[in-house]
Amino acid sequence: MSAAEPVITCRNVWKLFGAGADRYLEMARGKSFDQIREDGYITAVRDVTLEVRRGELLVIMGLSGSGKSTLVRCMSRLNDITGGEIIVDGQNIMTLSERELIELRRRKMGMVFQSFGLLPHRTVLDNVAFPLEMRGQSSHDRRERAMEVIKLVGLQGREDYFPRELSGGQQQRVGIARSLAIEPDIWFLDEPFSALDPLIRREMQDEFLRLREMLGKTIVFITHDFDEALRLADRIAIMKDGAVEQCDTPDKIVLNPATDYVAKFTEKVEKSRVVHARGLCRPLNGHAVEGPSVSGDLTVLQLARQLVNEPREFLPVADTQGQIIGVMRRQDALDILLGPA
Amino acid sequence: MADTAVPLAKVERAGFVPGVAYALLAVAVLLAIARPWLPEVLVRVPDWMILPYEGWFQWFFDFLKDDLGLIHVTRAISAVLEWFLDATANLLYGKSRWPNIGPIPWTAIAAVAAVIGYGLGGWRLALLAGGTSVWVSLIGQWDLAMQTLSVIAVAAPAAFMIGLSLGILAWKSSRFEAIMRPTLAVLQTLPFFTYLLPAVIFFKVGPTAGCVATIVYAIPPMVLMTTLGLKKVPPEVVEAGLMSGSTRWQMLRHVYLPAARTEILVGVNQVIMLSLAMVVLTAFIGMPGLGAKLLALMNSLKLGRSFEIGVTIVLIAITLDRLSKAWIVKQPQHFMRGTPWWRRNQLLLVGIGLFIGLIIVAQFVQVADQLTRGQDLSMGSEIDDIIRGALANPTVDAATSWLRQVMITYILIPFRNAVLWLPSLSIILCLAAAGYAVGGRRSALLAGGFFAIVALTGWWDRAMITVYAVFSAVIIAMLIGLPLGILAARNKKWSEPILLVCDTAQTFPSFIYLIPAIMLFGVNDLSVIFAIVIFATVPLMRYTIEGIRNVPAELIEAAEMSGASRSQKLWKVQIPLALPTMAIGFNQAIMFAFFMVIIAAFIGTQDLGQELQKTLAGNQLGKNLVLGMCVALMALSFDHIIMRWSETRRKALGVA
Amino acid sequence: MTTLRTFTAAALLASSATFAFAEDSTDPITIPIHNWSSQIVMSHVVGKILEAQGNSVEFVTTDSQAVYESVRLGDVTMELEVWEGAFGASFRAAMEQGGIEDVATHNAVTREDWWYPMWTKEACPGLPDWNALNACAALFATPETGTKGRFLGGPVDWLKHDAEKVEALGLNFQVVNAGSAAAIWAELAAAEKTKTPIVVFNWTPNFAEAVWPGEFVNFPEWVEGCDTDPAVGPIPDKTYDCGNPANGYLKIAAWDGMKDKWPAAYATLQQVNFTNAQIAEMAKFVDIDEMEAEDAAQAWLDANEAVWKPWIE
Repeated sequence: MSAAEPVITCRNVWKLFGAGADRYLEMARGKSFDQIREDGYITAVRDVTLEVRRGELLVIMGLSGSGKSTLVRCMSRLNDITGGEIIVDGQNIMTLSERELIELRRRKMGMVFQSFGLLPHRTVLDNVAFPLEMRGQSSHDRRERAMEVIKLVGLQGREDYFPRELSGGQQQRVGIARSLAIEPDIWFLDEPFSALDPLIRREMQDEFLRLREMLGKTIVFITHDFDEALRLADRIAIMKDGAVEQCDTPDKIVLNPATDYVAKFTEKVEKSRVVHARGLCRPLNGHAVEGPSVSGDLTVLQLARQLVNEPREFLPVADTQGQIIGVMRRQDALDILLGPA
Repeated sequence: MADTAVPLAKVERAGFVPGVAYALLAVAVLLAIARPWLPEVLVRVPDWMILPYEGWFQWFFDFLKDDLGLIHVTRAISAVLEWFLDATANLLYGKSRWPNIGPIPWTAIAAVAAVIGYGLGGWRLALLAGGTSVWVSLIGQWDLAMQTLSVIAVAAPAAFMIGLSLGILAWKSSRFEAIMRPTLAVLQTLPFFTYLLPAVIFFKVGPTAGCVATIVYAIPPMVLMTTLGLKKVPPEVVEAGLMSGSTRWQMLRHVYLPAARTEILVGVNQVIMLSLAMVVLTAFIGMPGLGAKLLALMNSLKLGRSFEIGVTIVLIAITLDRLSKAWIVKQPQHFMRGTPWWRRNQLLLVGIGLFIGLIIVAQFVQVADQLTRGQDLSMGSEIDDIIRGALANPTVDAATSWLRQVMITYILIPFRNAVLWLPSLSIILCLAAAGYAVGGRRSALLAGGFFAIVALTGWWDRAMITVYAVFSAVIIAMLIGLPLGILAARNKKWSEPILLVCDTAQTFPSFIYLIPAIMLFGVNDLSVIFAIVIFATVPLMRYTIEGIRNVPAELIEAAEMSGASRSQKLWKVQIPLALPTMAIGFNQAIMFAFFMVIIAAFIGTQDLGQELQKTLAGNQLGKNLVLGMCVALMALSFDHIIMRWSETRRKALGVA
Repeated sequence: MTTLRTFTAAALLASSATFAFAEDSTDPITIPIHNWSSQIVMSHVVGKILEAQGNSVEFVTTDSQAVYESVRLGDVTMELEVWEGAFGASFRAAMEQGGIEDVATHNAVTREDWWYPMWTKEACPGLPDWNALNACAALFATPETGTKGRFLGGPVDWLKHDAEKVEALGLNFQVVNAGSAAAIWAELAAAEKTKTPIVVFNWTPNFAEAVWPGEFVNFPEWVEGCDTDPAVGPIPDKTYDCGNPANGYLKIAAWDGMKDKWPAAYATLQQVNFTNAQIAEMAKFVDIDEMEAEDAAQAWLDANEAVWKPWIE
């Protein structure tokens, strides 16, 4: 991966719920989740350090109560953190004044919510135009921009409907359109598809990937669905009891789960669908490059037929530009496809 | 078995010792048994302990009014109110004040009412709103109704604005809410006699005082509903607002208030209904219109026409109630793209068109402008004859005489004497015991403490007569209301008409019950209790029906699959689960009874209500307030115990 | 030239008018109305007279006791029926505090006392003498009073001394206070159906006389001081051992700012004077003939020009 600059940096972030949590924080360090709970506090985020890089799609995955939603709310300062620091675009957001924070949200951030968070008394158009209205844009500009985004999410013709007149999938499209209206740099999505039926969810994921491709934003995506995380993520941060267990690319997580907890998720996964050629790629280290290369973006499963018939032990792997980035050992790929011998 | 379907978890309370309640109760009983041998000090609070609260309050009021000059502030407020009242009065019934264009012809108002009805709820509501207007006009009460509405048209919006602001403040600041809640509770239980004097002194007798008393009376539910609604706004909607970069004001204006629309509109509905409930009572301090006319008619015993006024008030109340309820559930509907402007605002245009059209018509057609006397269809004297005839019926007479004899001699008088005989301490301890049993030490202190304060004011005996009347009435109301409620809940065909009767009985001006009560039973406690029973039965029935209806269907199905018979289902599943809700009805019945028992002073009582009535003659503000507080404290004590019980019980049963 | 002359004339006229009579304020004069018919009609009668003089008049419904506080504060301008018995105490209390004045006294006299409808006399023929009451006490007994007779008094805020009277005269009666005038009428109407004997508090002038013919009980005659000095009256050691005054006053009270603000109206008000018969007539229009108060006032004015015309001259 290219070492793009970080957009959001979390350093030792803590978030405890309970009266006087600030003062308690020092005592909490080193205590377990359960010990802290016995003291009357809830650990929502525990000593989290991670970076979100420009243009990257980071998925934060965890079961309910793991602190993933709180973490994303800390990044947008919907929640004030108890300890550590969060830097967004070079600014420590805890030091922002109310005015500056509002300005940050009006210019740079968009967020999509699990149960949509639509304003029930406003039409689709007015909901989408809401953030623009808040920052004082003229009603004509507002309308034009809102129509543009509505078209983008495929809701044209519904702009005068009220949220309750739409299906769940459509409502979430409104939520997405609203979050995109101000053209944010950073896009937060908090379990956006969890409230939807499985079929619609799949469709919305495709839609989301299309938008992502088109807009190229920095994205923090929350989900409790490991498959969804694998399908969408550049990198995944897996959380448990407020702490990040592992943060890495899907390939690496599947190949090398860092903890037993992570392994529990990965063991059921059909790895060949997840692991890409680039994930198995090792440095050239003097290996001679011979023959045609394989695309690093293809999964092992997609390469299955070629792998079976492949005479070479090492296959060169190319990135999207066709540059050779390394070689993949055929046996590694076959092990993933067929299971270790 | 069916009762296994009812999980009965004990709710643990910190520092709760179950024995304490029994101990308190035991002491209370011992004191009662030992009554004949007790020294007087233990039976009643001795005179030297009774402090001159009345004088203190009086001094405090005088200090506020004259030394601090509060009266100048309130009089300035009433000047502003008066300006608004004059304007509505001019528009609605042509009082000669700015803007000097009224009165608006009745047909124009009726048409607008019908159009609003149509807009909110289709033909049925159009018919109700238009029909009510036509009835009021035909019966010859248009002017009176407009006089009443001219005050409500100012009072209700004022109560709405004040209630909304206070509700927002209470939601913003928990400290403010901590002060607000008990204040509202006292306001809601304070007898209306206690509103009257301050209203007159501070706000000038007449529509202004009536308006102020109405506002004060109607504010509490608005505050509570606003706070409730704002607290219930889904967190994601709030976060969506924040993430859109809303400022605090934008959050309130564009996110919180619109999202709390339903609760706020329920508050509006309550404001309207309470304003209408005050129509007759405020007539004592100068509220013009239907209430004042009703009082004058009753004083010359014109039952028929009083009854017609009652019907008018009920019709207006039901109309406004249904309209506002329709508004609550009404959701915005989108128009197809390209719908022309006039189609989008079709109803508005029709309304304006009819309004202007009818004003023009009224210039030429007198009947469209106003119906003069002689053109109306009042049947007052005919109804009089019917009522008198019914009351003079020998069977009715024999039955009521017998009932009067038996109830008064064998039940009411002994009960009353027993209540008066009990030592004060005994009763206080009983309440403390009940308080402890439902809510631990704090509840015990509250429930017992409130009554102890009453004892310390020196009005104990009067207060006990009030309590005796309240409980006699509530017990009778339960004997009537619970079976009817259960019956109605089990059968849909029954529940509709019974709920309609409930609605009507509740909005029918309570005064009108008093006269038939006296004609049936004479001036005595039985009439008083009869008048209270009519009022107190309503919430008992309503909440019984609601409680039983809301038992989750799976539980009923589970019971049925366990082979429960109809009565087993009722006793083992429905009633236990409905009990917390029924308790709320019981509580309301007691609150209504406390309200009504004071009004029953107009029949003739010997309780706190009578003393309160006396204070009106002498302008004794201090005494008036002390007596009012006694009533409020007793009501609050019961309120606390019952609501606390209902809450704990709900939690234990795991029902919402 | 002519304009100038008319102008001067008008100015002269105007100044002479002010000289004779300060101009009445254009603010409306507020007349309180209560909940009994004669007072309402009388208020409208006087209101119409004042309006004819060019004043603007408004009516406000108030409580009949609390009204004295409002007169004192100038919130209402006058009170046309101050009954000695019922409102004397409130009126005197207000007079002591100041702000209210006693403008005139009607010719009408008022009486308030124990009263019974005629059918009672048939059952207890010794009436109206008060001694007969004790003999017939059992006739008036009710469940709540046990063996004692029941006397239905007026509301407590009328501040009567019936219980003291019972005690002083040794009557075998118990006083039960009705809560309102309406309660008394309802009891009377109920008693009428079965011709049950009944003694109630009643007063004159009053519409009830027309509906239920009846008589006042003859108690020992009122003597000044009978209510304060035990020695006065037939029972030497008791107060209240007498009936109420048989000819109590009926006064007109006004705010003491009225004579400066509306001098002409005040002058008229000083002339206003009604008799018992006139008051009964007004009440009858409403209570028996079912007219609206305003129409009744107009009808009375039309029929009695000779009475009121002189007041405004």
